[in-house]
Amino acid sequence: MSKSKDTVEKTEVLDETANMSDEELFSFVEYHHDDAERTGYSNYSYWKSVFKNFLKKKTAVVMLCVFLCLFVFSFVATAIGNYDYDKLIPDNEHSFESPNSEYWFGTDNLGRDYWCQVWYASQTSIKLAAIVALGECVLGIIIGCIWGYTRKIDALFTELYNIMTNVPNIIYMTLIALMIGQSFLIMAISMTAFGWMPMARQVRNLVMMYRDREYNLASRCLGTKQSRILVKNILPFLVSVIILRMALSIPRTISLESTLSYLGLGLDVNTPSLGILLRNSRAFFLDFPYILIFPAAIVSIITVTFYLVGNAFADACDPKNHV
Amino acid sequence: MNNKNPILSVNDLEVCFTLRGKSLTAIRKVSLDLYDGETLAIVGESGSGKSVLTKCFVGMTDKNGSITNGSIMYDGIDLAQLKTEKEWRNVRGKKISMVMQDPMTSLNPLKKVGVQIQEAIELNQGLHGAEAKAETIRMLRAVGIPDAEARYSQYPHEFSGGMRQRVVIAIAVACRPQILICDEPTTALDVTIQAQILDLIRNLQKELKMTIIYITHDLGVVANVADRVAVMYAGQIVEVGHVDEVFYNPQHPYSMALLGALPQLGVKGEKLPTIDGTPPNLFNEIKGDAFAPRNKKALKIDFYKEPPFFKVSDTHWAKTWYLDPRAPKHEDSTSIKTLNEVMEKNAKAAHMVHPHESPDREALIQVKDLQVSFGAGKKKFVAVDHVTFDIYRGETFALVGESGSGKTTIGRGILRINPITAGEVYYKGQKINGKISKELDKEVVQGCQMIFQDPMASLNERAKVDYIVSEGLYNFHLYKDEADRQQKVEKALLEVGLLPEFATRFPHEFSGGQRQRIGIARALIMQPEFIVADEPISALDVSIRAQVLNLLNDLKAERGLTYLFVAHDLSVVRFISDRIAVIHKGRIVELAEAEELFRHPLHPYTKALLSAVPIPDPAQEKNKKLFIYDPSVHDYSVDKPVWAEICHDHFVYGNERELDLYREELI
Repeated sequence: MSKSKDTVEKTEVLDETANMSDEELFSFVEYHHDDAERTGYSNYSYWKSVFKNFLKKKTAVVMLCVFLCLFVFSFVATAIGNYDYDKLIPDNEHSFESPNSEYWFGTDNLGRDYWCQVWYASQTSIKLAAIVALGECVLGIIIGCIWGYTRKIDALFTELYNIMTNVPNIIYMTLIALMIGQSFLIMAISMTAFGWMPMARQVRNLVMMYRDREYNLASRCLGTKQSRILVKNILPFLVSVIILRMALSIPRTISLESTLSYLGLGLDVNTPSLGILLRNSRAFFLDFPYILIFPAAIVSIITVTFYLVGNAFADACDPKNHV
Repeated sequence: MNNKNPILSVNDLEVCFTLRGKSLTAIRKVSLDLYDGETLAIVGESGSGKSVLTKCFVGMTDKNGSITNGSIMYDGIDLAQLKTEKEWRNVRGKKISMVMQDPMTSLNPLKKVGVQIQEAIELNQGLHGAEAKAETIRMLRAVGIPDAEARYSQYPHEFSGGMRQRVVIAIAVACRPQILICDEPTTALDVTIQAQILDLIRNLQKELKMTIIYITHDLGVVANVADRVAVMYAGQIVEVGHVDEVFYNPQHPYSMALLGALPQLGVKGEKLPTIDGTPPNLFNEIKGDAFAPRNKKALKIDFYKEPPFFKVSDTHWAKTWYLDPRAPKHEDSTSIKTLNEVMEKNAKAAHMVHPHESPDREALIQVKDLQVSFGAGKKKFVAVDHVTFDIYRGETFALVGESGSGKTTIGRGILRINPITAGEVYYKGQKINGKISKELDKEVVQGCQMIFQDPMASLNERAKVDYIVSEGLYNFHLYKDEADRQQKVEKALLEVGLLPEFATRFPHEFSGGQRQRIGIARALIMQPEFIVADEPISALDVSIRAQVLNLLNDLKAERGLTYLFVAHDLSVVRFISDRIAVIHKGRIVELAEAEELFRHPLHPYTKALLSAVPIPDPAQEKNKKLFIYDPSVHDYSVDKPVWAEICHDHFVYGNERELDLYREELI
């Protein structure tokens, strides 16, 4: 043994022990079973921890605030502008006026107020993205759960999925636009109808991963119904993934909508969306950059926000990052 | 051991980790000497810091951890001061090397086994080409791999777990290290393989004159391998001494409790002494003796002042106030000395009446010709092969076998979680496999419950304890109203020794032992009559096992429960079970009353299993003879084997010739 252990360390006597005699110090203490059983942790609430963790990510919180302001402002802006979207009339005398006190965002090639067009388009795009994200989420979770939990249909669904996803989305969209028509509703439905598939596949993979965990076997031993096992034992573990997918689906929808509109397959020309504005600007933006900058800036803000917020929230939802 | 010069000397070592902004002291001022040529075993529960400590010796501390104090003197240099990988490379592998726990993950699956060993040899011994290859093949032979030339060019997946661990050992000793650190090298292996690996390490030590540090939580393994033992608790060494001194004369209350709580020392029908609670949270500041809150005979001073090391003998030191001259006298608790006594007592207990011996016995569960196979055609794998047994009401029926023997599959087959291929299962005389009526299904679900192996995996992390425990109640609506349900949950929690206030918490706030008891409460609330306990203690820390075993025994006495206890460890099963069935490769080879099986094992596999189980008694363990089972001793080509009752209630699987031999053995 080394010397250091030989010398009894004379640690300074702590306050509590100062006025205790040796006899008292070396007396047996009554043993409490309950105290031994108590552990160090205290009240824990899942969602409280989620929000606490989320609030720690400053950039995400700031971006979320910016987006919320933008969203609210898009409604306010159309109200306070000098022109109503419905009452816009082409006016060749005022075409391509740079932003000024009359036309806050300037005017387009037809001399219409750009301010009210931009904000009206933002509303449309955000509404579309939100509806599609929600639809994808609901469809994706329901189908993904059934797909992942029922062994028998797995092979069939996997084949169907492969066939469907091997054809590029843009072809479906083109066909729908050409055959059925172009409107907000058709757009929302067709985007949801093809957007749920990646979500369903991811849910299916995760459900399969959790399906045969021991705690689910335990639930089966207790006679728990499959639907209850799915809702109570498996879905809570998918929250972070689902939220991330949903958040990322919003910028994806906006960019897909822009792409389609740019190609002339999106919404009809009378429903302005950010995509339509971008499409219209393509001929003029070299001479009049502001025509491109305003809608592009809004698209960028929305994309970056949802990317950051989605990641931050998914991280916050992961209980490994709690405690 | 006669050599008094330490080759590695740790002084006041402190290791801190930062985890999400919080600091955790994993090693708190540890001093330790390692002498040339000895085997030092470091024993402790998970989280006691034993792995962290030894990782410091090879510079493999995790990235978020650092040595904040103290020194590790080796060969004239302070290892605590080494920073760069380059500096470490002169020590790690060359002078100090390490064998990790899991052989399944410590080899590169894409490289030939021989190449992996050769790499280590080329790097550290400077041999090349044919020379290196010859040395590699010599190494493979040295670690007991037959047909080394052919094995050289095979991939890890072609090796069994035990063989892979041999390869890992070959890599570790390839460069003739002075110190070999073995971090639970046999925990992931079966007992019979474990015994062989322990033998191998011992032989290599003699041959290569290595000093070995052996980390383990299994006191039986310690008794087998160690010259000296260091007991760790909450990041500190609390007792260190010769293996005999620590085992026969433990001084620290933790060592005493640990040795006292061993199931091997349990007397049938009596309670095991337990250690309640859980190890302290190292995020918090620890005041006084870390073990004090769990110590049933703590001194007041334990809560205020940290005890120094007291000398018991020249080689035996313990860090406890019990040894202070001012301390009051205390009785010695059960120690390993009584192992033989216990054996005698248990022999007497053999005359205890077991449920299966009573004349009006009732077969609660009957398994007839059960078969389970996976896959089909050439890939067909038979997991359970014509298994037949009855479990009588009120007994604990143990099913013992190695991993892959099909024991869990049988348990799950009975509870209908896994489908069975053929055969029948009866519960109270009613057939329960296949299609059954809704009423019977409900009765079976309520009557038959399961306790799972891994308490970390068997609870839903996202549900509160309240929901987990009352899940069965919800399913069959077994409560009148909300208040009634809560009361039932409370009662179930109290019954398993937990506090009712735990109901509002989530599983991750509990330790392994507590979680296992939550799992038991969940099963109990259904008021079952039959419980399949699937290795309920093998994933638990040693200090907690006794608690769970006691609980299972108490519940059996109070509620008249019947258990099917699935285990791989024969020594645990002896204490708890009435009858034991030994299963090998899907077939039950021997079935007898527990004491009878231990006294007169007949089947060679049973004998091998019994000889391989490490006994936590150094004197017995060091002198025992290992019996290795070779299935080729059976010649079943002409004389077909049968399942026969060789004497009253003692069944063996064998052919006529073997049965005659067994009968002779019994006389």
